[in-house]
Amino acid sequence: MPDSYLTISDKDAANVVAYIRTLKVSTGAATTTGDPAKGEALYNSSGCSTCHMVAGQGGSLGPELTRIGMMRGAPYLKNALEHPGTDLPKVADVPFGGRWTQYLMFRAVEKDGRVVEGIRVGEDSFTIVLKDASGKFHGLWKPDLQSLEKEPGKSFMPSYKDTLSDAQMDDVVAYLASLKGAQ
Amino acid sequence: MTRALAVIACSIGVLLSSTAVRAQSQDVTYQQLLHADGTPQDWLMYGGDYKSQRFSRLTQINRKNVHMLRPAWMYQPNQPVQPVESSAVIVGGVMYVTEPLGTVVALDTRYGTKIWSWTPRLPEKLYTIGVHRSNRGVAVFDNTVYVGTLDAHLVALDATTGAVKWNNHIAENGEGYSITGAPRVLDGKLITGISGGDVGIHAFIDAYDLKTGKRLWRLNTIPAPGEPGSETWGNDMIGTGGAGTWGTGSYDAELNTLYWTTGNPAPDYNGSNRQGDNLYTDCVLAIDPDTGKMKWYFQFTPHDTHDWDAIQVPLLFDATIDGKPRKLLAQANRNGFYYVLDRVTGQFLVGVPFVKETWAKGIDAKGRPIVLPNTEPTPQGSLVYPDGHGGTNLNSPSYSPQTNFFYVAAREMGAYTVAGRPKVNFPDFGGGGRIDLSGDEAFGAIRALEATTGTMKWEYRMLAPAEVSTLATAGGLVFAGSDEGNFFALDAETGKLLWEFTVGGTAAETNLVTYEVDGKQYLFGGAGTCYVAFDLP
Repeated sequence: MPDSYLTISDKDAANVVAYIRTLKVSTGAATTTGDPAKGEALYNSSGCSTCHMVAGQGGSLGPELTRIGMMRGAPYLKNALEHPGTDLPKVADVPFGGRWTQYLMFRAVEKDGRVVEGIRVGEDSFTIVLKDASGKFHGLWKPDLQSLEKEPGKSFMPSYKDTLSDAQMDDVVAYLASLKGAQ
Repeated sequence: MTRALAVIACSIGVLLSSTAVRAQSQDVTYQQLLHADGTPQDWLMYGGDYKSQRFSRLTQINRKNVHMLRPAWMYQPNQPVQPVESSAVIVGGVMYVTEPLGTVVALDTRYGTKIWSWTPRLPEKLYTIGVHRSNRGVAVFDNTVYVGTLDAHLVALDATTGAVKWNNHIAENGEGYSITGAPRVLDGKLITGISGGDVGIHAFIDAYDLKTGKRLWRLNTIPAPGEPGSETWGNDMIGTGGAGTWGTGSYDAELNTLYWTTGNPAPDYNGSNRQGDNLYTDCVLAIDPDTGKMKWYFQFTPHDTHDWDAIQVPLLFDATIDGKPRKLLAQANRNGFYYVLDRVTGQFLVGVPFVKETWAKGIDAKGRPIVLPNTEPTPQGSLVYPDGHGGTNLNSPSYSPQTNFFYVAAREMGAYTVAGRPKVNFPDFGGGGRIDLSGDEAFGAIRALEATTGTMKWEYRMLAPAEVSTLATAGGLVFAGSDEGNFFALDAETGKLLWEFTVGGTAAETNLVTYEVDGKQYLFGGAGTCYVAFDLP
């Protein structure tokens, strides 16, 4: 630990605590009752790996899940399966006043009327880069756009609330909670 | 000519031309400083002139051609350990700028070639609590470069060689004192403030003899028991209550008055141990520079519990109000209000929000905020706009006499302010903190305010609530930066975007400056850990 941390102020300490709280590290927040093996089978048969990567296998449109069980508790995982896009992760990034929302969707309308909808992967005051559903990147010059709107609550990921039974949901949550990276 | 040949030619040119130039113009005189607008090819001091207007009369880069602006050269510090924050001083073709952790470098202004550098010998155990480990600039006078250091030394360097002329240890870093701001040269005096207000230093504004470094006077910003203002404190905190002086002041030679601003009281987010207004925290002080005596003061945020230092540069301008010519002082304050004062008397004239604020109903006729209930920090957190970094921060605004607009980087961001247990034993000092709202609920903007009223005339939105400067020019332009490392130019009248260049890194935190050499105008600033000069093809 750098020596300067020994003299961290209350204010800085409170800011560090506030940031850590945003990570929602809550692995012990709730126990999972499902069967991880059944959950893994459902994960593979439901198309999750099209957009998510586990241990190097799968797509990259959504969050990488290799260590998701170390980072998120069961309630968060269940909510993400039922209501994707409603509680997106925040990440520390100086240009956004300390935290910004990952996987936030935007809808941009270019001068010629073309619409680009995608997940924000990069932004500054003049440009934004969106990743569309096919994984293609679109770099856009903001002053040239007709409009640029955030789409809070929206996600490329479908809700599994009505496609999985309660027991199946618990199984998938149990599988995700078991993903803790290399042991 | 190839780049290599150009560099060689440049180096020879530096030796020949700058030797000649130095004999003439490195010896900056007080008359030059008094009339800085008479030599717009130079940038003679922090703020551009004594009024800190940051308005350049150069016109080569203007509305019509600014879109062609391009990088001319870049300079990367030897130790890119922190973002650069320095405001350059430019004299006769030589630039004096600082880099973290306090190194002073002299650069050729045509090519960025380093001429000399000087690095302070800092202690292994360096206290910089609540202080950026950086430096915001130097002062230059009579072939001497003056700079403060993180361990609270004030140093005079030979402007042609970097050799130390004198080195005065003015306060104990082991007790929390640092210098990060640029000093100010007046006639025969060097004025400096001090950083460390968040750890209960007994802050001051000092004057030193330019030739010898001998201290001439000290004005403490927290009154001692029995002195005027001491009644605005409880019994516990006198002498340790903050009021750092880490900005750089302005000066009116006609009035012979120095205007210097002060920081927040300490502990910052818990005022239970310091009942009262806590003078002279969050103030602008009008000072007689011959004696160090205070002529008047104005306090922006009495009994501050939100970390709203008032160290934003006091910008001086003259205007007619109600048919009467007035000498005015303007400040966009961290507390979210834009103020105009009569700088002769300190009379409050205007106080209007320039960003969203939720802590005061307004400012009363005497300039005192009408504080709303339930806005104090609590253990659970109390949501207040603006956040602790304020409606704007240390980076300087600018003023154009062509438009009579005050250009400021506005920060639109709130925070939950949390009251913690007051701690007052150095280095364990503090009283809580804040939890900023998510970045996606915040934004920044460059705003043009009518200087006499604070009425917003236009704004240019930015992604993040930026801590950046503005620079106004007679070319009809306002230059600024963003927190994402963009530099850009706006039409000073309308706010229309005219040019942009991305450097990346973190904030473009330095004060942008402009200068001319060999008939060519340059724009200069820093972002991340890099300085960049721009010119036209």
